Amino acid sequence: MAEVKVKVQPPDADPVEVENRIIELCHQFPHGITDQVIQNEMPHIEAQQRAVAINRLLSMGQLDLLRSNTGLLYRIKDSQNAGPVSFFLSKMKGSDNQEKLVYQIIEDAGNKGIWSRDIRYKSNLPLTEINKILKNLESKKLIKAVKSVAASKKKVYMLYNLQPDRSVTGGAWYSDQDFESEFVEVLNQQCFKFLQTKAETARESKQNPMIQRNSSFASSHEVWKYICELGISKVELSMEDIETILNTLIYDGKVEMTIIAAKEGTVGSVDGHMKLYRAVNPIIPPTGLVRAPCGLCPVFDDCHEGGEISPSNCIYMTEWLEF
Amino acid sequence: MTQAEIKLCSLLLQEHFGEIVEKIGVHLIRTGSQPLRVIAHDTGTSLDQVKKALCVLIQHNLVIYQVHKRGVVEYEAQCSRVLRMLRYPRYIYTAKTLYSDTGELIVEELLLNGKMTMSAVVKKVADRLTETMEDGKTMDYAEVSNTFVRLADTHFVQRCPWVPATENSDPGPLPLAPILVISEKDMYLVPKLSLIGKGKRRRSSDEDAAGEPKAKRPKHNRDNKEPIPDDGIYWQANLDRFHQHFRDQAIVSAVANRMDQTSSEIVRTMLRMSEITTPSTAPFTQPLSSNEIFRSLPVGYNISKQVLDQYLTLLADDPLEFVGKSGDSGGGMYVINLHKALGSLATATLESVVQERFGSRCARIFRLVLQKKHLEQKQVEDFAMIPAKEAKDMLYKMLSGNFISLQEIPKTPDHAPSRTFYLYTVNILSAARMLLHRCYKSIANLIERRQFETKENKRLLEKSQRVEAIIASMQATGAEDAQLQEIEEMITVPERQQLETLKRNVNKLDASEIQVDETIFLLESYIESTMKRQ
Repeated sequence: MAEVKVKVQPPDADPVEVENRIIELCHQFPHGITDQVIQNEMPHIEAQQRAVAINRLLSMGQLDLLRSNTGLLYRIKDSQNAGPVSFFLSKMKGSDNQEKLVYQIIEDAGNKGIWSRDIRYKSNLPLTEINKILKNLESKKLIKAVKSVAASKKKVYMLYNLQPDRSVTGGAWYSDQDFESEFVEVLNQQCFKFLQTKAETARESKQNPMIQRNSSFASSHEVWKYICELGISKVELSMEDIETILNTLIYDGKVEMTIIAAKEGTVGSVDGHMKLYRAVNPIIPPTGLVRAPCGLCPVFDDCHEGGEISPSNCIYMTEWLEF
Repeated sequence: MTQAEIKLCSLLLQEHFGEIVEKIGVHLIRTGSQPLRVIAHDTGTSLDQVKKALCVLIQHNLVIYQVHKRGVVEYEAQCSRVLRMLRYPRYIYTAKTLYSDTGELIVEELLLNGKMTMSAVVKKVADRLTETMEDGKTMDYAEVSNTFVRLADTHFVQRCPWVPATENSDPGPLPLAPILVISEKDMYLVPKLSLIGKGKRRRSSDEDAAGEPKAKRPKHNRDNKEPIPDDGIYWQANLDRFHQHFRDQAIVSAVANRMDQTSSEIVRTMLRMSEITTPSTAPFTQPLSSNEIFRSLPVGYNISKQVLDQYLTLLADDPLEFVGKSGDSGGGMYVINLHKALGSLATATLESVVQERFGSRCARIFRLVLQKKHLEQKQVEDFAMIPAKEAKDMLYKMLSGNFISLQEIPKTPDHAPSRTFYLYTVNILSAARMLLHRCYKSIANLIERRQFETKENKRLLEKSQRVEAIIASMQATGAEDAQLQEIEEMITVPERQQLETLKRNVNKLDASEIQVDETIFLLESYIESTMKRQ
């Protein structure tokens, strides 16, 4: 009788089937499965086929490869991540891992963005590679470059659909990386006028001094409401913004500030205290030295009797005497 | 002494006392204390003249003398006292506001003559006042004496130190230089004089004109035949007391500017109460209770006790910190923080100069760095809300003007510039000193310009003086109006205009000197108060 060679076909040798089984297993154990577990489940599959299946799943991005103390773990990727990643994958099917790495780093930087040199440090890739990859990513509209307001030559990179953070764009005072000094000036004057009128009305009221003084104060919340109602700002201004404007008024010497303890819950209080502002007058009139031309003279140090510039032939003095 | 101070002293001495005194004075200021022969030798003037010049300077308290070891008397000039001569008009004006014309003239006489006896002062002032009164009226000595006593009681004039009476009958060898002593309680003791008399009207032919050199030794009154009852008791103006008054004025006006009139009146009352009790260099006045203040308020102010208490609380809480609360007895004990007040005034002066010279944005940056003490370039831009380029420009301008200085904090031991923090900071004391030096030079410039203007128009001035003299003599001898007219027309109209301009310019320059002197006073008081605390 002839020998019948029976080739035993291992069942479930279909690679797709293998992958599906592995995926099912991963779903069963969301924390990850080791190679051993897969082996136990499908003892009939050879190690090589297993490896091929796992590699395919990894490259498709459906599995995560992790290392634990015991060995390698395979974990199903989260469905949340799966969304944009699959979208990203659909674009990046052919890209190499370096681009993936760079993209990962940029993603981690969130909405603050990251500088190209920092990307280089984190990924240990040479500069030329980085530049090529960045150009690539930009052209695919995955990332964008935002000019930082701190150093105008620096460009930070962040994901395309993210809003840049305030520290990068400068917040309400910057529009397109330009400091809006006129806007700040206008706000400055408006706040000062508001406080001045408040102090005037308080002075006119002629009541006892305590009430007079207390009514001449305005809290930062009041000023904020007034400015919002004025509507001179196209951008939404927060209370901190108004406080920075009021601080510049303090540095101008026109306004003074006190902090009082306020109950939590009163309008405008932050952490149990409130800032109150009041318009004040300077304590001395312009001092005597600046009333003489010598006080403001730009060539003061060159002036001496008998020289090219001297008190006898000083043109500033002549002009001043003719007043 | 800096060059600027020496220049200013030389100008002042020349204007008030003449060439020779100026030469000796400046030499002494430059070289410190020197004996008589060395001065004569170094300046090349005769011994006689040096002696006379020194007499003038000592009489006016500008030079002091000391016996050194080896029996040599050395003379030393006091530069700061010479600079006080700028402030004479302010002293006289203060006396006028406080004690009216009589007080004004008393202080003026004392300042112009250095030291005088009381009887001499009284007589002279009475004579001068009688001149200005209507015909038939004269000034009584008693009134002048009263004002003098009041001035002494409030310490505006004080006695000069004198030679103590020796106890032993045997005089022994005369000391090389008299040692002058004065005790604290005798300083304001007015001798019991009965000065009876009235002011004499000066006849036009009599008496010396104002141009005569100031009395070098008023010890003997040439007009007086009787022995002077208070011979040997000399009085001088107490400049420290005037300075205290100016300081009080500055504080009161600062409070009035910041708060209102009533608060400034309260502060004035507090300062007046501590006039005598607190030494002028103390950082705080004595604590005053609210009840005392209420009792001492001026009569016209009828505010109730509660309102006063409210005002005092407001003053104590104000960020200016001029008034502080030191206790609760007697309705609340309050002190005036003098050192802090002077500091605030000096800081305000600095800010005002920065504002006028560089602009209000620079002033903003200056105040910002003052408040925050140390700031980096970037932080300055952020806080002040000024674009980066402009902020940098302004900081550098102030840096080269020495208002702001840089503090380096290295990160690495090799102080590499790229790895160092540079912080901007304001050092008020050194900025005040720098500004003070600039003030001295400015006043010297103003005086020089004034002298130049006068010299330019010397010919015109002489001509106008001659014409006036002619007119006066013709009026005395009784001339007709037509003749007077003719003489007056000798000065043409453009010349008259020129004279007018000259007068206006000289007045303006004079006024400006006094204004710069106000700045000098604030800065000097602050520097002195800070040095005393260290």
